[in-house]
Amino acid sequence: MLQTIRTRTQGWVAWVIVALISIPFALWGIQSYLDVGGESIAATVNGIEISNRDLDQRVQEARMKLRERLGARDDLAAFNDQRLRTEVLNNLIQDLLLRDVTQQLGLRVSDQDVQLQVLSEPAFQKDGRFEREIYERTLQLQGLTPVQFEAQVRQQMTGTQLIRAIADSEFVTRAEFSQYQRLIQQQRELAYAEFHTANFANSTPPDDAAINAFYTANTARFQTPEQVKLDYILLDAGALTTQTVISDDELRQHYNANQARFGQPERRKISHLLLKVASDADEATANQVLTKLNALRARILAGEAFADLAKQFSDDSGSATQGGALGDVEKGVMVPAFEQAAFALPVGEVSAPVRTQFGYHLILVTAITPPVTKGFDEVREQLLTELRKQRSDAQFYELGERLANLVYESPDRLEPAAEALGLTVQKSDWLARSGGTGILSQPKVLAAAFSEEVLTEGRNSELIEPERDALQAVVVRVAEHRAADVKPLAEVRDEIIAAINAEKASAATEAAANAAAKQLREGADWATVLGNAKLETPGLVTRQADNVPAEVLKTAFTLPSPIEGAISVGTARLAQGDMAVVRLLRIQDGEITANADLKTTPEVSMLAQVLARQVYAEMLKDMERRADIERTAPQSDEQF
Amino acid sequence: MSYETDEEKVEAIKKWWKENGLSVIAGTVLGLGAISGWQAWMDYQQRVASEASSAFEQLLSSAPTEKFEVIVKQAAVLKDDFESTTYADLSGLVTAKALYQAGDVAAAIAALQTVIADAPDPAFASIAALRLARIQVAENQWDAAAATIAAHDHSPAFAGEFAAVRGDVAAGRGDVAAARAAYEQALAQHCGLAPLVRLKRDNLPPVRS
Repeated sequence: MLQTIRTRTQGWVAWVIVALISIPFALWGIQSYLDVGGESIAATVNGIEISNRDLDQRVQEARMKLRERLGARDDLAAFNDQRLRTEVLNNLIQDLLLRDVTQQLGLRVSDQDVQLQVLSEPAFQKDGRFEREIYERTLQLQGLTPVQFEAQVRQQMTGTQLIRAIADSEFVTRAEFSQYQRLIQQQRELAYAEFHTANFANSTPPDDAAINAFYTANTARFQTPEQVKLDYILLDAGALTTQTVISDDELRQHYNANQARFGQPERRKISHLLLKVASDADEATANQVLTKLNALRARILAGEAFADLAKQFSDDSGSATQGGALGDVEKGVMVPAFEQAAFALPVGEVSAPVRTQFGYHLILVTAITPPVTKGFDEVREQLLTELRKQRSDAQFYELGERLANLVYESPDRLEPAAEALGLTVQKSDWLARSGGTGILSQPKVLAAAFSEEVLTEGRNSELIEPERDALQAVVVRVAEHRAADVKPLAEVRDEIIAAINAEKASAATEAAANAAAKQLREGADWATVLGNAKLETPGLVTRQADNVPAEVLKTAFTLPSPIEGAISVGTARLAQGDMAVVRLLRIQDGEITANADLKTTPEVSMLAQVLARQVYAEMLKDMERRADIERTAPQSDEQF
Repeated sequence: MSYETDEEKVEAIKKWWKENGLSVIAGTVLGLGAISGWQAWMDYQQRVASEASSAFEQLLSSAPTEKFEVIVKQAAVLKDDFESTTYADLSGLVTAKALYQAGDVAAAIAALQTVIADAPDPAFASIAALRLARIQVAENQWDAAAATIAAHDHSPAFAGEFAAVRGDVAAGRGDVAAARAAYEQALAQHCGLAPLVRLKRDNLPPVRS
């Protein structure tokens, strides 16, 4: 037979078998071997892949951190998911890149340094000393082995080592420091005059043509947004609470049903003496034990102490040493047969033998603590609040369901639903998309009010629950609607006149200031250009001077230096169309510390640090530019 | 080829082994040797890197407090022992700083030039060149600084930084228009110490017409 198989296998049968076997491999095999099945890739960095699953997890973590920082606020939902995702991905790419670069460069922090780092991590310490147990437990929680964790630490440390190498070797040259000192403490002597619009106000009002022109040119300014007036039914569990009437009978019922919560049940101090009967013992053996127990019982009844005998004979070694005492026991703790007997006994009387799964017991009750209950009147208020809340919640859900159905059944009116449920239809004032107050400020409500279904088709909205746990629900319909519009000219005429006048005045002011500046540059002196403006001469001022308006200071410190008799004049725009003409007279550089020690001067170190941070970021950018980084089109992390 | 009986098959295998057995064994030994050799080499590399890293950490931690002679000596030892590692280049940067701060400008320049020449990553060369050009500016060596910048201002990542130094060079040569343009470029490309660059720009004298 073997021979036939052998000859056959060289023939067509073999081929068929091989073909059959290869089918599943062709369909599923390769994929699972290469492990690219469901794993979609978010990006690759020099051939290292970042899976979307990994990215999703990081995004989730980032979102959680964000939530911790911002609290559970509504605007969190609006926080752009895509942006967060991109940011997280960029960080991941940078991490990976740094890892890859340090590896390529052969940077590697020594085992010793890694060990030191782990040992000095406060999270693994107890009373200031490293605890191996804490270390292992913490890692286990994160699903890491020490080897994996230490590799992570090493990577991180190696990255920081590169950062420190670049940052710590940054320096500031003597020339740079001198220039810094000269510039930062530089003082400038200036004179300036303010030109106020009030002095250039136009007395002739603008004509109608100008007003019309302004009106048509500035329609956006006079726009009113699209607005609606809403009818709405508000269902509020909070409001229902106060309406709920609860009778005394109901309260009492509730009290009786929940008595356990309002006090302590009866407790008994119990002792026992156990003689074990094995669970598979036959009747005869059990009877032998029973006889023995009865003999012990007789001895107790004759006056011997229960505790002594329990200590001597009880098979329950735990309690035997305590003279059989089990301590305070409530109902529901012991096995039923034991409990029944124990809670029926008066104090001080030895029970008849009781059979349980453990064997035969003698039971003695040594003390009874009677149940303590708070009286009905004591907890009445609490009961009332509880019941009301229960009722109103139930009512809220019931009414909510009915309301949803009713407004759906008659989609063009709210009144039938309101009447049927004893609720009122409320009316809002004009509301824009920016919202109103209370529940009408909720984005979900506004979205519904301006939705096509409600706004255009004039139907009732669905039942909206703006906040999950608030137990508030609302149905809205649009009662009135007005489209976005431009206010009529008559209504804004005064506003336009004021605006035109202000515009003219500030243009005149600016022209005057510019003319004055020009004259000064041409060699005129202040007296000829001032008009009714007043010359201010603060003298030498520092960059931080507070006796000069900030805009004037800024102009003064950006004007070119007035060397060789050149006249340096500029203008500054102040608030409300006012202008200032500024003349720079002299520059006095800050004092230089000659022979400053570049190694120990704090300002030098500070400058070097700031510079280093930027240079380091640029190094990463440069490496990123040269790396082979591929980002696949972003995908949402929510898969339904 | 097909064989009629098992004996024939065994015979053929034996024959094949006689002809090729030696090379198979040699190949296997060679292969295993290569693998273990490679592993030993990797281990060695890692050990060297770890030792260099420890030495470099020591250098970094002593740099802020020690006298420059000590730092330079430490760096020289590191360089001798671990010449092939990146740590040797990084320690060149640390040495340059120590030398410059101690006033030995020529040695600092030489140290930076070595880093530029040996840099295992172009970014290190750019950073070293940037520092070199800034020292040259501080020494009023305008032409040398301009040459350094021209030779190394390749990467857009460092373009802002180089532009700022180019501004300093132009300002030093008295070319106000070029200095202003260079400072503007530096600011547009977010150079480090941007506030200081802004002050420099605003402090330029008027362009003489």
